[in-house]
This record gives sequence, structure tokens and C-alpha cells, in this order.
Amino acid sequence: MDVQTLTYLIVGLTFALYIGIAIWSRAGSTKEFYVAGGGVHPVMNGMATAADWMSAASFISLAGIVSFVGYDGSVYLMGWTGGYVLLALCMAPYLRKFGKFTVPDFIGDRYYSQAARTVAVFCAIFICFTYIAGQMRGVGVVFSRFLEVEVETGVYIGMGVVFFYAVLGGMKGITYTQVAQYCVLIFAFMVPAIFISVMMTGHILPQIGFGAELVDAAGNGTGEFLLDKLDGLSKELGFAQYTEGSKSTIDMFFITGALMFGTAGLPHVIVRFFTVPKVKDARVSAGWTLVFIAIMFTTIPALAAFSRVNMIETINGPESKGVAYETAPEWIKNWEKTGLIKWDDKNQDGKIYYANGPESEMKIDRDIIVLATPEIANLPAWVIALVAAGGLAAALSTSAGLLLVISTSVSHDLLKKNFMPDISDKKELMFARIAAAAGIVMAGYFGINPPGFVAAVVAIAFGLAASSLFPAIIMGIFSKTMNKEGAISGMVIGLLFTASYIVYFKFVNPTANVADNWLFGVSPEGIGLFGMMINFAVAFGVSRVTKAVPQDVVEMVESIRFPKGSGAAHDH
Amino acid sequence: MDASELQPITHFLQDRVPFDSLDEAALTRCCQALTIGYYSKASSHVPLDPDNPQLYIVRSGAFEVRDKNGELLDRLGEGDYFGFPSLLSGEEASNRVAILEDGLVYHLPPEIFDFFRQQSREFDRFFNRAFAKRLRNQGRFKAKDLTTTSRITSLMSKSPLSIDMKASVADASKLMRSARVSSVLVIDNNKLVGILTDRDLRNRVLAENLDGSLPVHQAMTTTPVSIEPNALVFEAMLMMSEHNVHHLPVVDNGVATGVVTSTDILRGQSSQPLLLIGEIERQNDLPSLIQVSKQIPLLLQNLISADARAEEIGRVLTSVTDALTRRLIVLNQQVLGKAPMAFCWLAFGSQGRQDQAACSDQDNGLLLAHEPDDSAKGYFEALSKAVCKGLDECGYIYCPGDIMAQNPKWRMSLEQWKLVFDKWVNTPEPKALMHASIFFDMRSIYGPQSLFDGLQDTVLSSTKGNDIFLAGLTGNSLTSAPPLGFFRKFVLERDGSEVKGIDLKHKGSALINDIARVYALSAGIKEVNTAKRIRALMEQNIINRKDALNLADAHEFIAHMRLSNQEYQHTHSLPITNYLLPHNVSSLIRHQLRDAFKVVHDGQVGLKLKMMRSY
Amino acid sequence: MRHFYLKTRLQIKAALCKQEEIAEYYQALIPLIAKPVADIPLMAFDLEMTGLDSQFDQILSIGLIPITAGVLEVAKAKHLLVKIVGSVGNSATIHGIVDQQLAKAVSAKQAMDWFLTQTKGHVLVAHHAPLDLCFLKVEMIRSYHQSLAFVAIDTMAIERKRLLRKHDVIKEGTLRLDACRQRYNLPVYAGHNASVDALACGELLLAQMASIAGNEKLNLADLLG
Repeated sequence: MDVQTLTYLIVGLTFALYIGIAIWSRAGSTKEFYVAGGGVHPVMNGMATAADWMSAASFISLAGIVSFVGYDGSVYLMGWTGGYVLLALCMAPYLRKFGKFTVPDFIGDRYYSQAARTVAVFCAIFICFTYIAGQMRGVGVVFSRFLEVEVETGVYIGMGVVFFYAVLGGMKGITYTQVAQYCVLIFAFMVPAIFISVMMTGHILPQIGFGAELVDAAGNGTGEFLLDKLDGLSKELGFAQYTEGSKSTIDMFFITGALMFGTAGLPHVIVRFFTVPKVKDARVSAGWTLVFIAIMFTTIPALAAFSRVNMIETINGPESKGVAYETAPEWIKNWEKTGLIKWDDKNQDGKIYYANGPESEMKIDRDIIVLATPEIANLPAWVIALVAAGGLAAALSTSAGLLLVISTSVSHDLLKKNFMPDISDKKELMFARIAAAAGIVMAGYFGINPPGFVAAVVAIAFGLAASSLFPAIIMGIFSKTMNKEGAISGMVIGLLFTASYIVYFKFVNPTANVADNWLFGVSPEGIGLFGMMINFAVAFGVSRVTKAVPQDVVEMVESIRFPKGSGAAHDH
Repeated sequence: MDASELQPITHFLQDRVPFDSLDEAALTRCCQALTIGYYSKASSHVPLDPDNPQLYIVRSGAFEVRDKNGELLDRLGEGDYFGFPSLLSGEEASNRVAILEDGLVYHLPPEIFDFFRQQSREFDRFFNRAFAKRLRNQGRFKAKDLTTTSRITSLMSKSPLSIDMKASVADASKLMRSARVSSVLVIDNNKLVGILTDRDLRNRVLAENLDGSLPVHQAMTTTPVSIEPNALVFEAMLMMSEHNVHHLPVVDNGVATGVVTSTDILRGQSSQPLLLIGEIERQNDLPSLIQVSKQIPLLLQNLISADARAEEIGRVLTSVTDALTRRLIVLNQQVLGKAPMAFCWLAFGSQGRQDQAACSDQDNGLLLAHEPDDSAKGYFEALSKAVCKGLDECGYIYCPGDIMAQNPKWRMSLEQWKLVFDKWVNTPEPKALMHASIFFDMRSIYGPQSLFDGLQDTVLSSTKGNDIFLAGLTGNSLTSAPPLGFFRKFVLERDGSEVKGIDLKHKGSALINDIARVYALSAGIKEVNTAKRIRALMEQNIINRKDALNLADAHEFIAHMRLSNQEYQHTHSLPITNYLLPHNVSSLIRHQLRDAFKVVHDGQVGLKLKMMRSY
Repeated sequence: MRHFYLKTRLQIKAALCKQEEIAEYYQALIPLIAKPVADIPLMAFDLEMTGLDSQFDQILSIGLIPITAGVLEVAKAKHLLVKIVGSVGNSATIHGIVDQQLAKAVSAKQAMDWFLTQTKGHVLVAHHAPLDLCFLKVEMIRSYHQSLAFVAIDTMAIERKRLLRKHDVIKEGTLRLDACRQRYNLPVYAGHNASVDALACGELLLAQMASIAGNEKLNLADLLG
């Protein structure tokens, strides 16, 4: 069977699995299940959260970024993981105790103001739009390769699938569907990584293979270590040394910070902590989530390095002089069809050659690294198909969660609570679906005209979250004196500053997007942290000169932080 | 033209009450005067021309009569009529007839209608009654006098005592003595020819010095006044006083099917709720309370046959239960002495919501003003055990889930209760919540209101706006869905190969109760009765007006179907269940039931959207 | 435009026509053509024949029922038996009319006179109208030595058009009067004669009009062909 048929088969099978689980968990009386099992197990919930959280960006693009930019790419790994820890430990328990389901609801109540809620809704919608745009690009890449179409067409197909899944399919939000999605995506990610690790280093665990000696075809050690070889190759071809960064320390710091605080402020991940009844369960499942995320994140650097070496060797040949196009491996031609690999035979020698600088004849889109790795390494066809299914699983589970946030925010928080208080349920549902559709269309547009690679687009979403929602939440929990005027002005100014900085460098004047023009040398990906600082500063400044917080809100904040009289302390 | 040419119309009419009472010539005349209209949903209402009132006879389709305020008065299907109120009263029609399903309607001009009313008493009476019923429905929120609206069949003694007309009065007297009745029907060739009562025996036999060998037909009252089974109790009373008799044979098509006596009517009146409650309050010991509570099933029966609204039936039955509980508490306190502290007797679940029906179990608890010491504990244990036992013996069986005041777990001080609720609210585990939901429908039956308010206010302030708790509660309530499949087909529940039908309680009423509960808790509304909750939610604009009215209508309709289905099961000697077999009801009812379930479904979707941020 | 064409055609026919009755028949129709259907007096009709061949078979009975302002006037329904040459033969099994009944029947010429008077100023309605019109036209030629361009709404044609719009294959039997009526949840009528079928056809038309136009006004042209 060829790759395409297998892809259809495996993608179809995984979809059938998700639908099957959805039907089963609806038809079978959930009540009986509760009686028997007493709720969703924290391990299961951990997997589901991991699926929610690991987006197409982490699955498809992260290894690509690390693979291409080496050390610099690791900021994403650090930022995302750190943010998750921050969220799980410092924020979720308090929010959970506050009894609010969504971030705008928390902000609206904490800052005793409908205006604050509305601003938070706009921030949340804005962030989610940006995030979905990254997902759409990822889905587009998957479809374009396996249906052998241009990436634009892939995005269109992806839009349809995601819309169906999120709005009509009724499969989202079911914990067990997401558990299945996690299993599919982690399997799809680990299988090729293990295969390559065994082939190149003889170690089963890619994490160990990463730091190990390379082996030859016969399995004998060559005495050369993987990273040394990669450093050598990189230098030889004019790239920065793989294990050395090229970004300035301040930029690294800011990007990591933006990603970290952004993660903590992402509305759709916070919701996950509320689906478990006990605060303790929430912590346990957060721990498990971290474990499940770690399985993939620790593999990413290894996979990135393996595929980098593999790719350079296949393109440039053993002598690093390039190979003839006619004899070039099949995958190059396959990916050319999608427009994600371009060959321009500059020196007219009929050979393909990849390097950094004008002599390079290859343009390779970073987003294809994970998807193309099995092909580059000549792995069996079913592995290639599996990776496609994994990519889709990652994109679908995240998009569905985000679309729900967007659509219910528009229909409930904006329309029902602000403009149309008398709206009927049916209308509300209709507006929710329209909002979801609009979200997908806009995301599709940005998926086709991306301001960056998948992971970079997503990073922007994190920056926006860090500069707007995160400070409002943190101050809401930890400051008794923060009032509504302060919080609102902080959110508005933080978001505006960050958004304009990003829009200027990414859309208005992309040619100026170099370190020399950046504010304090901070790239658009990292500006969110700066926006966050501005947010804090503005908020504190404004709150000093405006009316004090009402007494009942002060008491409310105290009761969140220091349980007294009731609550978990009195469990018996 | 020859009327036989349009047989489909004549055939249709001659099968319809009251047209079946007309002779062939009249029917032919009727057919020749008809016009036929077709009404389509596109024009939402049947245009009723005030200058040209007519009798409208529904040939196909489905319609709804609503008054000026949009209140539903009647639903019409094949063979039903509308337009007669203005024909009878001569006033302009004020009601509107909405079109639910496209249909054909025959129009009968007023001259013919009036002619038939003069011709046939039955025809006249039918429409007068229908008019009366319509007026009754119009005032359905007002209390109803059961005597006037319940039917003879609910009171009469079935399988009446009868004797051949040639038998002797001595035999008749023996028969009456052994059956302990005061009258016997006299039969000749299966036909009712007379009635022999105690009074006849006294006046026509003993006072005349005749002996017991006298044949019955010489002593009986010949051709007695009789009544038809569908007549109203009210009519029976009228007839008795008019003719100065105490016994009325019930005759259906010339065959005697029963007897109704003035005693039956008196007894029927005593099962009126107010009288029953009064009677409960007069009893001084458990055995007599048990005796009185035997009338409760009869009360239910009467209420159903009086066409009372299901919501009213629930409230009436619950008020009887409340009275019984209170009386038991008072009686037991007379034995046990004064309570060592203030306490409230709490009712949960259906009693709390005031929607009890046949064979309810008890769900109750005890709320104490403060932490009891050992002697107080002993007192309340004795009290609650006695009351629960009393309730059980009065027909309210012990709660299978042991949610009862006699269980020490549910006999707590105010502080303890607050902690229990706090745990449910702040740690909404699905399993715990599922069992706890009935506790949120709580009402105080006995005890100081301030004590109960202390608990309820705390609970409501903790649930109000607590999105996480509400989401948990919603998630729980969405685990059941109304029994509609694709293309709005009914999903029947099965037990192996046996089709059980539609579970009207768990897949209908309970789901609406759930929806109303979640919204009420989210808004801190004190009401616990589902209809009242919905009304309060509508007034506070938490549920859109249209959604709320639909939900209230669906709640009433499903509850009504459940009651009338149970009545059907009762009259057909089937086990009483909550399962309805759709083929046992007309297509119009099925249509309405589908609509009602659709409303439940929409309500669930709306709840999920608002409380769980999902759809 | 369609009604303009129809009107012109009728005007020409009326002008060319030599026989007074027929010219008047056309004249009565002309002012109706441009009106909305709801305002046009309609006449649902049905014929019972000895067979299906208009050249050899003969009309046995005619059922008429007028539709005024969207209401079927049963009160004004008419039924007429027509004398035939020879015996009804085996066709009696279909229409139920036996020779004895035809004793009080009128002659074919009288029947046509009657038909023209009754339907004058009405647009005709029939199920599978072409067949019935064919018989009428043959009879017109026999009686008046001139054909007549009847204006008739065909409920079967309306139904075919509606079904074709939904799905392309029309199975056998789906266009029969009873089958069409079932689609609109109209009651099943037992027993067939010209009157019942005219009634059934009239009801069907009302249902069709409601489902095509709803509350909108419908023009005659929307229903013709």
C-alpha cells in the first residue's frame, strides 16, 4: 500500500476512534460510570489536558524550529514548560477556589465591573484567534503533503475539517476523546523518533541517543557524537554552531518570559483545571499533565538533531557536494508539490545543495521537519501515515477548545451579557456557531498568509496573553488594593502596546524586523514580557490615584488566599 | 346533487360525536352546506371572520387555541371543533387559533349549526359542555371546584348489584343485606327496568303490610331517573335534588353499568383537598390518620378526572402530605414532650418541589437550631423515627436511598448542614452531586421559618454565581437526554426484548426539574417548585421569556401525560409505571409530546451553553 | 409575461370564434388571467370514462366543485351522469356506474352544454388534466363541431415539478392522486367517483398552493405548466 492510501486509512481509523468514543460515552449512562468509578481519573485527565495543551505548534513546528535554529529554539521548550508549572502551582488553585469557570468571569467579578469583563473577553478572543491561526497553518501543512496539494488548499480543507469537528461533530470536550487524541499524537511522535534513534545511535530512547555516539549501518560505534557531528555540519555549511545561540541574551530572556507568562494566561488551558471537582485532584492531574508533556518535549531536541543530520546528509550527499536532482530522494519531490520545499539550481549543475548563504539552492520550510522526518529516514509507510494522524490530533484537540472559548465568549459574554440580554437560547447558540465559523475563516486567512512559522504565530498569541490577561489575573489574586480602573487600563495598554509592536514588525514593515530596530533588542516574539511589565506599571500607577477597592472585594480576595471557616479545610 | 356522491365527508361526520346523533337527512343537509378550507403553517393563524362566524371541524392537521394573552386553552386534532364559542355566545371570537400542522378544515355555517342544536339535544349539549370546558381552561390558574367538574365514573360503584324483576322482595333484601348496600337494580332481559331501594321496601312493602314473597317489580320504582357515565358529578347532584332521589343508576347505551348514591357524592367531596386536610388535622392518633390517608389515591383520581392541571395536582397532593407530616410531628410531640430546641422538618425532592404523584416515597431531614447534646439527640431520634414510620404506614414508603430524618446522617444542626452543603458546592464531585441534587429542592414543613432561612440563604449565596459548581451540576443533569432520536423519532426504552416505552419521568419531567434547579441556584432564587422557579427566572430575565414559557408548557404537558398515562394503566389494570407507549396515544398527542421533548432538548442545549461554555 | 401571452391567445380565439357560447366562454376567462389565483374562481372537476382512449371511450359522469377565495364550496358541488352509446361493460368495476343508473342520465350534447354553463368564468382544476381535457375536446367537436382551448390547472403537473426539484427519479405511482395527497397528509378517501375525485383534487390544489407559496400571492402562470 502506498503512503497516501495508508494515510487515508490511519487518519480515517483515528477519526472513527474519536467518533466511537464520543458515541459510546454519550450512549452509555455516564451516571453509572460515576457510581462505579467516582469521576475521571487524574491520569486520564492529565492526558486530556496534555492533548488540549499540545497544539499543532508543539507537534509539527517545535522540532522544526529547534532543528533549524538549534539552541535558540529551546526557548520555546523552556517557556512553555515553565508557564505550565506557573499556571498549575501559582494560579489554578486560587482561580478554582474563586468558583469562576472562565477568565473573563473571574476578572469581571474580581474587578466588580462589567467593563473589565468585556475588556478581558476581547483579550481572550484576540488571543484565541491568533492561536488558532497557528493551528490552521499546521493542519494545512499536514493536508497539503498527504493530499499532494498546495499548502493553501491544505488550509482550506483543514478549515472544513476543524469546523466540522468543533461545531457539528459534538466530539469535543469529551475527556476520553482527548485521551485518545493524546495517545495517537504521542504514539505518532515517539515511533519515528525511536526508529531514528535506533538507526543512528543504537539507543532505543531518543533522549539518550541525543547525547550518544553515532553508529554505522552495521551497528558499530563511529566514535563521533551526534551533537559534535551536527556542530561540524552546521559550521561547514555556514550556519551558526548548533549548540551555540545567535540570539541576544536579553531577547532569549524576554521570549522565554513571554511564553511562560503567556501560557499561564491562556484561557482555554485554565478551564481544564475546573473540570475536576477537588483542588487536590486538579494538582495531581496537573502533575500528570506535566509528565505527559515532558515525554514529548524531551524528545523534541533529539528528534530535531537527528532529522537535521539526516536531512543535510541526504541532500548534500556524503561528500557534502550535493547530489544530482534525478537521484535525489523521493521525499524532496513529494514536498516540492506542496510548495514547502523549493529547489533553484543556481549553479546549473543539476545537483541539489543546501547551505546557509547565497550558494544554497534549497528553500526548506521549517514546519515540515516532523512530518518529513520519517520519509527522510526511509521509515516504513505506516509510520509516515501515523505522523499525519498525530498532527491532526494535535491540531483538532486544541482548535476545538479554542473555538469553544471564542464562540461562547462572543455569544454569552458579549451578546447576552452586554448587548442582547433578552436573547433566546436558540439565538445564542446560533451566534456561538457563527462566531466559531468566523474564527475559523479568520484563522484560515492567517494560516494562508502566516506572519511567521506555526510556532512563531503561536508565540505571538502567548505574548498577547502575557501582556493582557496574566497581570490582571495575578493582581486579582495577590493584590487586595488593585481596583478596576487599574486593571482595565493595564490590560488595554498592555495589549495595545504588544499588538502594535508585533503588527508593526510582522505586517506593516517586515523588512525592519531585525535586532537593530527592536526596542532594547527584544524581538516581537518576546515583546509580550515587556507588555506585561507595562501592564503592571500602568495598573499600579492608575490604582494609586483612583478610588479604593470596595470592602467586600477585599474580603473576597482574602478568602481566596486564606481559607477560613469553610471550604477545603473542613473536608470531613 | 346526490349526497351519496360525497361519501367521504358524510362518513367522516357520522363517526364524530355529536354528529353521530343526527339522522341521515340532517347529515346530508350538513354535507351540502359545508365549505372546505386548507390552512397552512405559513399563515400562523386561522383567520376568523367576525362577520361570518362558523363552526370549524378539523379534518386533518393540528391546531392550538390560545387566548388573548397567549395562554394555551386547547390543542386540536382530527375531529375536533373550534369557533363554537362565538356561535353560542354571539360574541366576537377573542381567542386565536394557531396552525401547528397544515390541515383541512370543514366550515359549517351558523344557520345549520343552530338548526342542529334545535333538532338534537345531544348536539346542543355537546357544544355547551365544550364551551364550558373552554371557559374552565381559560381560568385554569384559579382553584377549581372539584364537585362540579369531576365525572360520575370516578365515584360510582362499578359492577352494581342487580336482581331479576320476577324475584321476591325478600330475596332482594337478603342480597342487599349481604352486599351492605341500600339499593338494587332490577333487570329484565339485561335491560334496566327499575330500582329497589331501602325506601321502597319501607314505603311500598312494610308500610303496606305486604309480605316478602311480593315480586320485586311490584315494589320497585319503575323507569328510574338514570344518568350517563360521562356526566359530571354536579349534574348528578342536580338530578338527585330535582327528583328527590338518593340513587342514580348509571346507564351506558341502555345497559346499567353502576349506581351512584348521595353517599358516594358526599364521600367524593370529602376527598377534596381542603376537607381532607381538615380531616387530617382533626385526627388524634396514628390509626385514624392511616384511615384518612386511604383517601389520598381517591383524591388523585378525582383530580385527574376533573382535568386539573398536573402542576396543581402535585401541589394539592403535596399539601396533603405536608399536613400529614405536620400532624404526625404534633401528635408525637404530645407523647415525647416539648422539643429541647427549635428545629425544622425539611422536605426534599418531589415533596420539596411540590410535585408529588402516586406512590411517592419520603425524602426528609431534620434541621436543628444548634448542636444537640446526648439527651436532645435521643429526643430527635425518637421523634423522627416515629414520624417516618407514621408516614410509611400512611402510604409514603421509606426512601430507598435512606434520605430520611430517621437516618442520623440527615439529622443535623444548622452549622453541620451548612458544612454539608458547602462541601457539595465547593467540591462538586459528580457522584456526590448526583445524590445531592434533591437536597437543593428543600422546603421547611414544620418549624420556625427564620431557622430554615438561615440555611437556605447560606446555601443560595454560595451557589449563586459559583460557575464551577453550576457546571458540575449541569454536567450531571446532561447525562440523560430526552428520548428523541434522529428525525425526531421516539427512542423507546427496552428491557431485553420487552419494550417499556418512553420514560416520562426520568427523560422528561426530571430533566426540566434539573434545568430549573441549575438556573435557580445560579441566580439565588428561593423557589423550589419547578413552575415557580421558571416563572421567577423569566421575571428576572435569566431565561428568555419565550424559552421560559415553552419550558413551563412542556413541563406541564409531560407531567400531565404521565398522570393520564398512569390513569390509563390503572383503568386497564396494568402495573403503574412512568413508561408511555406512544402507540397508545393519538397522533396529535405524539406530535405534542415530540414538541415538548424538543423543548427539553433545547433547554439542555441552552443550559450547557451558559453553564458549561460548550455546545 | 406568461399571462399576457395567455390573454392574447384567448382574445384571438374569442375573436375568431363563430359560435356565441364559446366566444362568451373565452370572454369570461380573459379578465381572470391576470389576477392572483386566490381571486380567480376555480372549478375542480373530474370525469369518469368508459376507458382511457378519447377516440373510442365516452364520458360517463362529471363531478364539479367550485373553489372560491381558497375555500372549497361543497354546497355548490355538482354531479352529472352522461348517457353513452352501448354498455358501460367491464369499466363498471372501476367507476361503479352501472347501466341502470344511466337511465336518468342526460345526452352527451346536453352534458357539454351543462359543463360550459357551469364552468364559465372559472379556471378548471384537474388531476392529470390533459386526459380529461382530451375527452372534453373530442366531445366539443362532436357536439359543437369546434374544439375549445380550456384553461386548466393540472395538480399532477404541479406535483411532478415539485418532486423533480427535490429528486430526479419519479417512481411509478408516486403521482397518483392518492399518493400525492398522502404527501400533504390529506385524508385518504375511500370510494371513487367523479365528485369525490374532484373534491380530492381541489383539496390537493389548496395544499399544493400553501406549500408552494405559503403566504405569498400566487399567480395563475405559476401553476400552469
